[in-house]
Amino acid sequence: MKARNPNRWLMILLPLLAAAAKPAAAELSRLGDGDLARVSGQGGIYLSGDVSINEVGGPIQNSYFGACGEAGKKCGARLAYRLREDGGWFVLDDIRGSFSFEGLTLRVRHIDSGFGGDGELFNRDVIELGLPNVVRYHDVQFKLAASNMARPTDPGFQQTDLFSIEMQGDVTLEGNLLVFPTGNP
Amino acid sequence: MAANELRLLTCGLLVGLASALGSPASAELQRLDDAVMGSISGQTGITLELELNANMNRLSYFDDGSGIHLENLRIGSVTQPGKGAFHKIEIDIDSQGHLNLDYLVDQRRIEFSDVILDGASELSMGGMFFDHSLQGSLTLSPGGTLSADGYTFDSSWTMSDGRIGYRTNGNEVFLDDVSMSLHTPGVTMDAVAGGLLFTAPSITGDLTIGAIRYSSNPLNHGVSTDVGSGLLLPSYGSISGDFDLSSQTTIGGGGRSGEGFRIDHSAVINSANFIYLDDGIALALKGITGHYAIDDLRIDVASDWLGREALALTTGSLSGELNVDRIELGGSAASLGSVNISFLFQDHVFAGESYTNALYLQGGGHQAAGPQGLRLAAQWSLPEASLSYAEDGRRVIFSGLQSWGRGDVTVNVTRDETLNGTRFFDGLRIGFEGLSGGYRINGLRVGDEDAPLQGGTELLLALGFYPAYEFELDGHITLGAGGASGEGLTINSDIQIRNGSAALIASPYDNGGGEIAQQGIWVTDLDYDLHVRDMTVDVTNEGLAIVKGEVWSTMDVGNLKVGDKASGQSFGRFVLQSYETGSSMVISPGGAGVVCSGGLGADAAACVASGGDWQDRGEQGVSVSIKQILASAVDDTRRNAITWEANRQLDGAGRPINDSGMKLVLNDIYTSDGGDFDNDGVDDNTFGIQTGIAVDIYQARVVKKTDGPDSQGVDGARGDEKIMDSSQPAGYRYVAVPTAADIENRPLGFAVQAQSQFKELDISSIDLVHPSGGAQTAIYGVKLQNFDIRANLTATPIP
Repeated sequence: MKARNPNRWLMILLPLLAAAAKPAAAELSRLGDGDLARVSGQGGIYLSGDVSINEVGGPIQNSYFGACGEAGKKCGARLAYRLREDGGWFVLDDIRGSFSFEGLTLRVRHIDSGFGGDGELFNRDVIELGLPNVVRYHDVQFKLAASNMARPTDPGFQQTDLFSIEMQGDVTLEGNLLVFPTGNP
Repeated sequence: MAANELRLLTCGLLVGLASALGSPASAELQRLDDAVMGSISGQTGITLELELNANMNRLSYFDDGSGIHLENLRIGSVTQPGKGAFHKIEIDIDSQGHLNLDYLVDQRRIEFSDVILDGASELSMGGMFFDHSLQGSLTLSPGGTLSADGYTFDSSWTMSDGRIGYRTNGNEVFLDDVSMSLHTPGVTMDAVAGGLLFTAPSITGDLTIGAIRYSSNPLNHGVSTDVGSGLLLPSYGSISGDFDLSSQTTIGGGGRSGEGFRIDHSAVINSANFIYLDDGIALALKGITGHYAIDDLRIDVASDWLGREALALTTGSLSGELNVDRIELGGSAASLGSVNISFLFQDHVFAGESYTNALYLQGGGHQAAGPQGLRLAAQWSLPEASLSYAEDGRRVIFSGLQSWGRGDVTVNVTRDETLNGTRFFDGLRIGFEGLSGGYRINGLRVGDEDAPLQGGTELLLALGFYPAYEFELDGHITLGAGGASGEGLTINSDIQIRNGSAALIASPYDNGGGEIAQQGIWVTDLDYDLHVRDMTVDVTNEGLAIVKGEVWSTMDVGNLKVGDKASGQSFGRFVLQSYETGSSMVISPGGAGVVCSGGLGADAAACVASGGDWQDRGEQGVSVSIKQILASAVDDTRRNAITWEANRQLDGAGRPINDSGMKLVLNDIYTSDGGDFDNDGVDDNTFGIQTGIAVDIYQARVVKKTDGPDSQGVDGARGDEKIMDSSQPAGYRYVAVPTAADIENRPLGFAVQAQSQFKELDISSIDLVHPSGGAQTAIYGVKLQNFDIRANLTATPIP
């Protein structure tokens, strides 16, 4: 019998896909807890909680950054990078917000069964990031911009804000993110 | 042993005791003439007064023809070199037939310059001195614990003006201003098969050490102040404590081979307290209780496993348990919580290799430091231990701790200089040479020892502690006296780890059915270089304060593997370089206190209304404040960088060849304040990354993620909450709608409240490096500014 590609049904789910609401794994079968009974290596942790970024502002107080609510100032975080040595800067600006989750798990699994028979062929260890069922976003926002300086306080600083993104509400994140090595290390 | 022999031995002990208190060799013993004698009336005993000044070129002990020698042994006055120390001894026999000794010793010093072994006479273990004044009494009565042929000793003494020092190559570390009292009523001595049994039903006392001092001036010897400057010598701090013990000790003849000693000893610690003071602020271990037993300890002059002659201490087993009820830290004397440690050291086979517990004391220390020093060829085998931490009544047990290893540890007192090409620093230098070993933890238990074993040891990673580690270690830690101000510690260190492996996540090595290979995420083929300069450690009002002068390290992970550490597949090579200047950390007692988890609100009502969970995490716990100043690159080793290399070529054995693959390099990562505000021409870098973490053990809500039975066979529906229940076979059950009582039994885990801030974090470039094509910059700079990240997380083990 022709061997199937062991990676065919296994995929790495990029966390960003999670933001697209529904379970991104179109053909990834959900493993029941019963299946996990065959799993060796039960080390791992179960995480719940909430994380916020600049909910009340950051540590810089200057002409550009300030406390949230301070007129004419930005209280979010800022990330700038450039792809050319003397080029302009891509900017994610005024990054703020918070999100909470329940039941994010991290462990190592050995997969040698399931997945429509592909698991037996796969037969290797993976890092499993068990996604929480629901992630709640609260006022998550940032701006995409372009500027001529990395620091907004540098002389001659100019910036063009391209568009803003805001996220609010629940996002369903189901399934597992499986990470495993391929190719030469 | 016959009763007569016992009495003979007892007389010998008394003669020895008398010799220690007042040797017949005393040069300046005053003779009482008849006229003086005539004025004494009504005396029932003897009073001896003497000025003792004894010198001995060499005192030797021989074991099967091999000798260990104390060189230049002297007993005399502390304050008047070359003069005798005053002794007064009163001896009488009372009406019950008890022999009573009352004694007084004033300002006596006992010292020797070297300890050498026949097989290595050119090397010395170093010299020691012991200063003290003593006042006490000893009563000897007939009758022991086992028979009337034994003896009973009632002893009580106090020591003052004490000083105990260790000296190598002209440098000294010593305990200064030591006071101690010891009361041992009813100690009995009986002859038993193989030796003498000493039973001490009560050993109580207290101890204070005014300072632990260091001197690098060869002209200083057993003095508190420098003879040149007149200033007090720097101090590591002071110590006080008290204890209440009972013990049994058997001492017999016969070493591990041929002649020697055998000692079996057990003790119960009824209560004890230990307090370390730094400029008057305490780190205190209070309410210590426990017990321990040493079985078959043998003392020989023998060769170690490499054939080097040594004073050998080998033991059959060492077992025990220690509880510390409160660990208090800082000016407020708040408690971090309580700790329990149980341990069993005994012979065991780890990874097919046999290990035992032995210590071989040799002379020399580090070979470049001079002829005096201590070398300990050590071997240890700890097959069974557990460590538990509890705060506010909630307990987590790190179960199945094992450790093993062998190698050399050297001890020298050194000064800041370069000798024979090796850099030394001021302080007590503890060196490691060819020390190979490891440790691992089986898993977590929460609540009590009978709780089921579960994963979660990786939670210790947050404290920089790996769940499993194997290493080959070289290097040193030098502990200097004096902290950032006043008393405390200054640490300089250079550590090298070769061929190491460590687990980031690890499954149990024994699930109850015998040893199995641990599965996890492993850093393997690990080489790690760490250099620490002028790191001070002080106990302050806020807690334990650590300030790093300059620290740089390179962690070269040859392979990051998943699965088995030997056969698992690799993600490639990772090299993490770190360079920090002026970073600091403060560890404080007390956790997060009252927390609104998952919501916002200053009180319970507001928190719940915002969707949060109002939690009172208690008064105990641990808080850590960290400031990391990432410095910009100075050279190829002192910089912050992350390198990932993959697709390496393989050698003939199939092993990847480093630097033959493609690399992704995050080059020169550093923090900044975002400008040159002090106009010195370079951007300021004082804020760094500031992180505050409060850690508590607390109940956490854990929900079932899928329908059906879980890995332990416990059934439940998706969304059901896990509730601990000792009446259930697995120790828990799932509940759809938990009651208030159920909520009280949510699983325990670590609750972490964290806040991390930085003004600016820079990455100079992100490069792609081809093994032959060279580096190509992909991103010309990344700048992150004004970040304030806060998190409330609970981490529980997966059952």
